[in-house]
Amino acid sequence: MAALVRISSVCHRGVSPLLFRSSSLIRPLAVQKKDRDCPYLISAKIHATPSNYAGSGSKAASLHWTGERILSIVLLGLAPVAYYYPGPAVDYTLAAALTLHGHWGLGQVLTDYVHGDFKIKMANAGLFLLSTVTFAGLCYFNYHDVGICKAVALLWSKRLD
Amino acid sequence: MALLLRTVARQGLCSSRLQFAVLYRHAVPMGTTAKEEMNKFWTKNTRLNRPVSPHVSIYKWSVPMMMSISHRGTGVALSSGISAFALAALVLPESYPYYLDLIHSMSFGPQFLAFSKFALAFPVAYHTFNGIRHLIWDLGKGFRIPEVYRSGYIVIALTVVTSIGLAAM
Repeated sequence: MAALVRISSVCHRGVSPLLFRSSSLIRPLAVQKKDRDCPYLISAKIHATPSNYAGSGSKAASLHWTGERILSIVLLGLAPVAYYYPGPAVDYTLAAALTLHGHWGLGQVLTDYVHGDFKIKMANAGLFLLSTVTFAGLCYFNYHDVGICKAVALLWSKRLD
Repeated sequence: MALLLRTVARQGLCSSRLQFAVLYRHAVPMGTTAKEEMNKFWTKNTRLNRPVSPHVSIYKWSVPMMMSISHRGTGVALSSGISAFALAALVLPESYPYYLDLIHSMSFGPQFLAFSKFALAFPVAYHTFNGIRHLIWDLGKGFRIPEVYRSGYIVIALTVVTSIGLAAM
C-alpha cells in the first residue's frame, strides 16, 4: 500500500521528491531553470548572427578574417617572387604586405591581452602609429636606399673573411 | 514490483517533462555581441578586483601549446624587427651598405655570420611553416589530435632543415 502511494507521488511530482527527505527542499524543475526575461521555461541562450535581430548586423569581422587569410597567402607567394624577380615592384609590394600582415597580427595580440575600453583604444592607436611609421620607413628605404630585396641579398652575400 | 516502479517512475518523469515540452527546442538569441559580453566580463571582474585562477602556471605544457605560443612569439619578434629596421632607416644618417660593412668589419668571431643568418632564418622559417599549418586548419583539415601532433613535428623538422640550409647559403 505504501509502495503504491509512493508511486503515485512519483507520477505527479517527478523523481526529485524521492531523493529529498524534507518536502521543503522540493522545488519544481521550472523555477530552478527559469530565466527572468525568457518566456520559455528551459531554453538555450545562443549567440545568433545578428542579421535578423536588433544587433549591428555587420560582416566586418568576418571580412577581416578572410582578408587576413588572403594576405597571408599573398605574402607566401611573394617570397619566391622576391627571390627570382627582385626589384622596386616587389620591394614596395613586400613593404605593404609585411606591414599590413604585422599590423593585423599585432591587432589580434592586443585583442587577446588588452581589456578595458580606454586601454583598448590607446593600444590600437599606438599600433596604428607604429604600423604607419613602419610602412613609411620601409618605403623610404626602398626609395633612398638599396631596397628590401637587395638588402637581404647583400646581407646573405657576406662571407667569412 | 521493481519493474512496475521503474515503468511508472519513467512515466512520471515523462509527464513532468511534457509540462516543459519546449525542452531545448527553443534557442533564444542574445541581445549582446560576444565582444560586448567579454567587455562586461572584464569590467565587472577588474572592478571587483577578483584574482585570476592559475592557468598557464599550472597546466601541463604540450607540444601544440608550445608551438602555438611560439607562432605568436616569432610573429611579434619579426614584426618588431621590421619596425626597428624601418625606424633605423628613417633615423640613421648613413646608407644600409655602410652599416652592413661596418658590422661585418667588427668581426665578432668566425661563426658570428653563420649564427646571425641562422638566427634570422629560424623565426622566419618557423612562422612561415606554422603559418601554412594554420591555413590548413582554416580549411577545416587536420584537427584530430594525432594529426595536430604530426603536422606540428613536420613543421619543426622543416624549420630546422630550412634554417640550416639558409644559414649555409
